[in-house]
Amino acid sequence: MKVNLSFAEHSKVPILEVKNVSMTFGILNVLNNVNFSVPEGNILVMIGPNGAGKSTMLKLISGLIPLQKGNIIFRRKRLNGMAPNRIALLGITQLFQDIRIFSNMSVIENVMVGSHFNAEANLLSSGLRLPRARIDEHRLFETARRHLSLVGLEQKANINPTSLSWGHQKLVGIARALATGSQLLLLDEPYSGLSGLEVDNLNELILKLKNQGITSLIVEHLTDILMGIADQVIVLDHGEKIAEGTPAEVQNNKRVIDAYLGSGQPAKEERQ
Amino acid sequence: MSFSVQDIIERTRKISPVDARYLAVGIFTILIMIIPLGAGAFPNTVMIEIGFYSIVTMGLIMFMGFAGQISLGHAALFGCGAYISGILTTQHYLSPWLALFLAACFTGGIAAAVGRVMFRMHGLILAGITLALNLLFFYLVSGLSDLTGGAIGMTNIPPLSLGQYTSQNILFNYYLLWVIAILLLIFSLNLADSRFGRALRSINTYDGGSEEAAQVLGINIMKYKVWVFILSAVYASIAGSLYAHYTRIIEPNTFMIQFSALVVLMAIIGGRSSPWGAFLGAGLIVSIRQLLREFAPMLIVGPTGSYELIAYGIIMVVVLLFLPQGLFPIIKKAILKRRPGFS
Repeated sequence: MKVNLSFAEHSKVPILEVKNVSMTFGILNVLNNVNFSVPEGNILVMIGPNGAGKSTMLKLISGLIPLQKGNIIFRRKRLNGMAPNRIALLGITQLFQDIRIFSNMSVIENVMVGSHFNAEANLLSSGLRLPRARIDEHRLFETARRHLSLVGLEQKANINPTSLSWGHQKLVGIARALATGSQLLLLDEPYSGLSGLEVDNLNELILKLKNQGITSLIVEHLTDILMGIADQVIVLDHGEKIAEGTPAEVQNNKRVIDAYLGSGQPAKEERQ
Repeated sequence: MSFSVQDIIERTRKISPVDARYLAVGIFTILIMIIPLGAGAFPNTVMIEIGFYSIVTMGLIMFMGFAGQISLGHAALFGCGAYISGILTTQHYLSPWLALFLAACFTGGIAAAVGRVMFRMHGLILAGITLALNLLFFYLVSGLSDLTGGAIGMTNIPPLSLGQYTSQNILFNYYLLWVIAILLLIFSLNLADSRFGRALRSINTYDGGSEEAAQVLGINIMKYKVWVFILSAVYASIAGSLYAHYTRIIEPNTFMIQFSALVVLMAIIGGRSSPWGAFLGAGLIVSIRQLLREFAPMLIVGPTGSYELIAYGIIMVVVLLFLPQGLFPIIKKAILKRRPGFS
């Protein structure tokens, strides 16, 4: 039975569910029984001090680290044991903190890698440059150009990405991720190394993507930047979820303040 | 209507990267085709040797330069082509052309089977495995004397023929080999500029790629590594079959680690970022070897074979120190003056 949902109802349907996920590296407990869900079309921000387990959580979702315990479900499909490339084909793409731009190809070729599986030409037709391969190349090129245009870098298509500013390289990374047809973007500290203006531009882009129905899960430790755009915030500390809610709710949470400022801070304030 | 040289240069600059690629191949083909017209038998023999090495090195460049994998065992793949062609034609009396085709299929099949296991490893371990495979191949062909002729090798391998021409004729062999080399060059250049080539470059961790980044973009890195290994094996096998039908004698020592090291050297010197590097590397190394063979005995008394190895060592160190990307990027830059998009 097909059910038509309103926008408000639609935004409550989880695109991703993380259930009882735990992770250990040797004797180190990196994540401990973490549960949360990401509603479709929302911007969920995961914050926490360094070493809280945020980046590990992203790698578990994208499949780069095999899941040890618990379940990760994307659109009712379990991702446990699935290879990263298969997870990407389902519609989840990760953007790394250090971007990992392919410096051995141009900006547009980087984005074309993102949409490579939308092509049908096999090895032989590509090598012989048969009509099918030429049509594919044209389509991939146009798709890549459209995504570069979305992030405002169409004019930089033919240059090497390493000659771009760090902020522009991040945008190439996002265009490359979008070219996969991603429905859920996993952004690992996307604001690191950006100037004030670049932060504003990135926020604007993330909101633009939200309006197009793309869900974002952002991991960050710079909390102030994100409070304006986040629909929901999750706080991790030492591998445990210590708070969840709207930005305003989380900002006033005592455990969150303790985690960020140290438990001695309120006591000091009380003495004063 | 007349054009100045500047006009012609400007017009040439405006052509698309694909057209520029075909233009470069066209000029190269013309050069290759006219060389025998003015050269004697000796230069043609040297050019044939360059052709064999170029084909193997081209496959290696796709494997090593594009995909960032390491192989120290390409002599085994070259040898597979040579021995399978030899066995099928001398013991089963198949047509040399059919033998060449079957050898390429069989070698590709071996590469597919080995690759699936081999690519669970990375870096030095992978290099070690390929080296071990080369040794294994050497001892297999030396040991299976009923099939391969053992240490003595195989003789009387029939030549390739086309109508009245056979590959015993130097000129016929020259054109046959170089037509195949140029067709494989076009195939490699097209592939480099396709989604296959981009996927390979994306997993090249030694030259700006990232396996993790490629994986999260949906690239099945194991599949691409195995495919490029198969392709590289097929190139080596074609060269091996052509070699067997040209020399008509093969023996295990030809397919030892020295050959594998030599083609790696050619790929590094020529430039591993483009199939063109194979021709530059093979051309330079074979020419230096011929010059040393010619002039070293005049200058030094006694056996001079080891001087080649010393020369290779010096060239390798100099290139890695001063031209880590090899000769091709320098030449490309000089010719095209930073024209983007040309592979």
